[in-house]
Amino acid sequence: MKWGQYVLGALIIAAIVHFAAIIAVPRVLMNVAMQRFGEDGDNVWHLAERITVASQKIVRSSPDFAYSACVYDLSNGPVVIAAAPWDEYWSLSLYGDNTDNFFVIDDREAHHGAEITLIKRGTPHPDGASMIVESPSTRGIALMRRLAPTASTYSAAADVAREDVCAAVVQPTN
Amino acid sequence: MLRRILAWTAAVIAGVVLGLGSAWAVLKFGGSSFTEHYGHWVFSRAAGSTGADPYTRAIIAREGLLALSAREAVYFSLYTDEHGRPLSESCVYELNGRPLDARWWSVTLYADDNYLARNTDSAHSIDATRAGNDAAWVARISPVRGDATNWLSSREARRGFVIMLRVYNPQRDFHPSEAALPVLTTVSCAGDTP
Repeated sequence: MKWGQYVLGALIIAAIVHFAAIIAVPRVLMNVAMQRFGEDGDNVWHLAERITVASQKIVRSSPDFAYSACVYDLSNGPVVIAAAPWDEYWSLSLYGDNTDNFFVIDDREAHHGAEITLIKRGTPHPDGASMIVESPSTRGIALMRRLAPTASTYSAAADVAREDVCAAVVQPTN
Repeated sequence: MLRRILAWTAAVIAGVVLGLGSAWAVLKFGGSSFTEHYGHWVFSRAAGSTGADPYTRAIIAREGLLALSAREAVYFSLYTDEHGRPLSESCVYELNGRPLDARWWSVTLYADDNYLARNTDSAHSIDATRAGNDAAWVARISPVRGDATNWLSSREARRGFVIMLRVYNPQRDFHPSEAALPVLTTVSCAGDTP
């Protein structure tokens, strides 16, 4: 009976640790990704080098895309994200800090590019913004994919990517 | 008293080890339990979804961080050959595909650590812009190119590499099935008797 309480205790601890680890893994991996993509700071696009063995930063990156990533931080208010159009497939996708892809828009829906205002869920909507997207978390990643499977198309996509915008909205001072 | 403290310490350590070990096992081997299978292709419709359960989310985070939701793209992974054996650098494979009801597709080879195989062959993927999406296509998966038109280099991919099929902007008519997805055939393996 005495040993039974220790075994039961060990099993309860194992269950708690197991579920805590499962819940924590996506957030830990997202934090690692945010650190890698956010070397230039938050709310700024980071244009990834063409995906090669030497440049790949996360698992299963596609060498056929030109990627740009922006680590957004809504702790000081909304962030404006704009995507310049590209001749081939492109998409702008948003990920919360638990890895959920909570928003995506592509060239079929926004042939001439897209501009969104990203706010934290539950905060007031800013006036005048055309497309408002609510983020479930304060921080996360915005990711641009532009189809560019060759070196020359990657170079052209990189030029276009420099026109993308990821910036905190300047709050009016009272 | 000391025996009780030691017993509880051992119970806590055992619990932590068991909890972490079982979580690691789920992440390492549990992928197939939360996915659909089409032939040997493995597919998770929940990738990137806000409705994914914690296990699917953790497995996807480990194997395909920043995956798009199924509305935008679907992902299929191939870990084994037609005999159920792990894919290996020591074998030569042929992948036969047909047009897919989608705007664009690609097939990429990743080593067993889910990163591109560490070779300099610049042959990590093939896609619809090169192989076409209006006719059947064939690709060779091998350490050397030979006379292959479409080639995925498995050099330095070791044993246990993965082939990933991305299907972007799938049409409403696109329904995953064994017949619709590319078919892998083993041509030869080093050590096979002639």
